[in-house]
Amino acid sequence: MTLSHAAHVPSPARPRRLPAGLAAVTPAFALVAVVFVLPVLALLLRSVLEPEPGLQNYAAFFASTTYLKVLGNTFLVAATVTVATVLLGFPVAWFLAIAPGFWSRLLFAVVILSMWTNLLARTYAWMVLLQRTGLINRTLMNLGLISEPLPLINNLVGVTIGMTYIMLPFMILPLHATIRSIDPSVFQAASLCGASRWQAFTRVMLPLTATGIAAGALMVFVMSLGYFITPALLGGTSNMMLAELIAQLVQSLLDWGLAGAAALVLLVVTLAIYAVQLRFFGFGQARS
Amino acid sequence: MSRSNGMRLAKAIAFSALIVGAGLGVAAAQSQAIVFTSWGGTTQDAQKKDWAEPFTKKTGIAVKQDGPTDYGKLKAMVESGNVDWDVVDVEADFAAAAAKDGLLEPIDFGVVNRGDLDPRFVTDHAVGSFYYSFVLGFNPASLGEKAPRNWADVFDTKAFPGKRTFYKWSAPGVLEIALLADGVPADKLYPLDLDRAFKKLDTIKSDIVWWGTGAQSQQLLASGEAPIGQFWNGRLFALEQSGEKVGVSWEQNLTAADMLVVPKGAKNREAAMQFLAEATSPEGQASFATDSGYAPVNVKSAALMPKDVAANLPDQHTSSQINLDMAYWAAHRDEIGKRWYAWQAK
Repeated sequence: MTLSHAAHVPSPARPRRLPAGLAAVTPAFALVAVVFVLPVLALLLRSVLEPEPGLQNYAAFFASTTYLKVLGNTFLVAATVTVATVLLGFPVAWFLAIAPGFWSRLLFAVVILSMWTNLLARTYAWMVLLQRTGLINRTLMNLGLISEPLPLINNLVGVTIGMTYIMLPFMILPLHATIRSIDPSVFQAASLCGASRWQAFTRVMLPLTATGIAAGALMVFVMSLGYFITPALLGGTSNMMLAELIAQLVQSLLDWGLAGAAALVLLVVTLAIYAVQLRFFGFGQARS
Repeated sequence: MSRSNGMRLAKAIAFSALIVGAGLGVAAAQSQAIVFTSWGGTTQDAQKKDWAEPFTKKTGIAVKQDGPTDYGKLKAMVESGNVDWDVVDVEADFAAAAAKDGLLEPIDFGVVNRGDLDPRFVTDHAVGSFYYSFVLGFNPASLGEKAPRNWADVFDTKAFPGKRTFYKWSAPGVLEIALLADGVPADKLYPLDLDRAFKKLDTIKSDIVWWGTGAQSQQLLASGEAPIGQFWNGRLFALEQSGEKVGVSWEQNLTAADMLVVPKGAKNREAAMQFLAEATSPEGQASFATDSGYAPVNVKSAALMPKDVAANLPDQHTSSQINLDMAYWAAHRDEIGKRWYAWQAK
C-alpha cells in the first residue's frame, strides 16, 4: 500500500534522513527482536528442520483431521466471542459516552477494574459459577426451573462466556473512543430529517462507529485466536483450541517441529486477517 | 545515511545493549545455590520443608524453588546449554524417555546410597522422589449408600450416575484403568491393547471431566462436580486432612513414581547429587511421606514414621496392587501421546 502510494508522489525531495524518533524506539525494537522475533523464528525453523529437513510437519498437520478440527474450533470460538463482545460491548460503550459524569466514571472503573484482576482468578470464578454444582445451576434447580444441571462448562458455552467477559474491555475501550468523537448534533439532524430511532442507528450511528467496531473486533478476534488459559479451564477436550494443542506438543510430546508448524499456520492466518482488516478499514491512510 | 544519523543509531543500539547487558550481569552476580523444580502445591511445600531446608542447614547450600515442572523447558535448557535447573521432579515415564534421549546426567551412586532404595524406583539416571498410587476416590455425600469398589464400577454409569474424572495428560494410568474395567487381568495388561482401551473409554466419554492438576481433582471431588474418579492418593489424603469426607478404594490401585533427575549440563552437578542423597535418605523420605501421604522410596523410612500414617500409605495396599510399566511407557510414550490427544479432541 505504501509502495503504490509512494509511486504517485514525485519524490525528489524525499528526505534521506532516518525518521525522527527512530533512536527513541530502538531499545523497544531491540527488545522485541531479542525476546520475541528470534525465538519465534527459531521455532518456525524447527518446523522445517525437525525431525529432518522438509515439509513433513506441515503435511502431518493438514493431513490430520484432529488438527484441522482444532484449527476450525479456534476460529469458531474466536468468531463467536467477537460477535458476542460487539453485541454486549456496544451498549456499554454508548452508555459510557453519553452517561452523566458520575455514572460514566463508575462504569468505566468497573470495566477497567475487571481488566486489572488476575486472569486466572477470574477464570476460576467462572468455574465456580458455571459448574454443575455451581451457583447458577443450583439456583435454577432450587427455583424448580430445571431438573437437571445445564451443561455450562467444559464445552463451547463455557469458553464463550468466559472469554467474552475477558475480552469485553478490548471492545468497549476503542468503541467508546469512537462514539465520543461523534458530534451529538448529527443525531438531532437525523431526527429532524424524519429518521426513526432505528434509522438513526443503522444509517448514522453504525456507519460512524464502523471503524471503532472494526478495531475492537480485530483486537478481540486476534487475541482470542491465541488464547490459552480460559479455554483450557472452561472448555472440554473436544473443543480444544490451537494454543492448547501447541502447548501439548511443546510440553508433553516434545514434538517441536509439529508445534512450530501449528504456530506458523496460526501466525499466517492472523496476519492475513490483519491485512484484510487494514485493506477495508485501514487506520487512516490505507484507503486511497 | 548521514554521519550524524549513523551516530544516533549507533548510540541507540549501544544503549539498548547496555540495558540487556545490565540484566544479564545481575543474574550472574547472584550467589551460588541450586535450583529445585517440582509441581507446586502441597507436594512441593513438603519437599521444601523436608528436603531443602535440612539440606541447606547441613551443607550451607541454598535451594531455590522453581516450578512447575515443564518438560519442554527442560529440553530447551539442555539443548541450548544454558541449564538453570539442577534437580527436577518428573514423572517416571518421562525420566526413562529423557534418559534415552540423552537429556539427563547419570546419578553419582558414590554420593547417593543405591542400596537403600526400592529397586523399582531407581535407575542409572533417576532416583525416586516418592511413589504414589492412582486410587479410586468418591464423594459419599453425592453417591449415597452405595460405595464403588473397583474400576469397573467407575465405568458403570447406571449404578453410579454423574460425571467421573480422570487425569487429563497422556501418562500411565487411564488406559490401564479402562482395560481393567473391561476385564483384562492385571498380568495381561502389557503391551496395552490401545484399540480396546479407547473403545472402553468411548462408552463414558461424554461423562468424563478431565483434571489437569492435583488441586483441580480435589475441587472436582469435594464439590461433587465429579463424585467419582481416579486420583493421586496423596491428594485424597490432603482432602481428608482438611476435614472433607472422602471415600477411597484401594482395590486395583496403580503405582507409579515421581523421579528426581539432574538435567544434562546442570551448573551445580555435585551439589545436586548431594541434594539427591538428602532427599532419598531414610529421614528425608520418612518426613516427606508423613507430610504428603505418598510412600517413601527408601526401604528404611517406614520404621521412622508414625504407625497410623504408615498404615495409610500405598505400600500397605499391595494385595491387588498393580505396578504401571514405565519401561513400556518410555518406549511408547510418543505414539500413545499422539493418539491420546487426538482421541480427546475428537
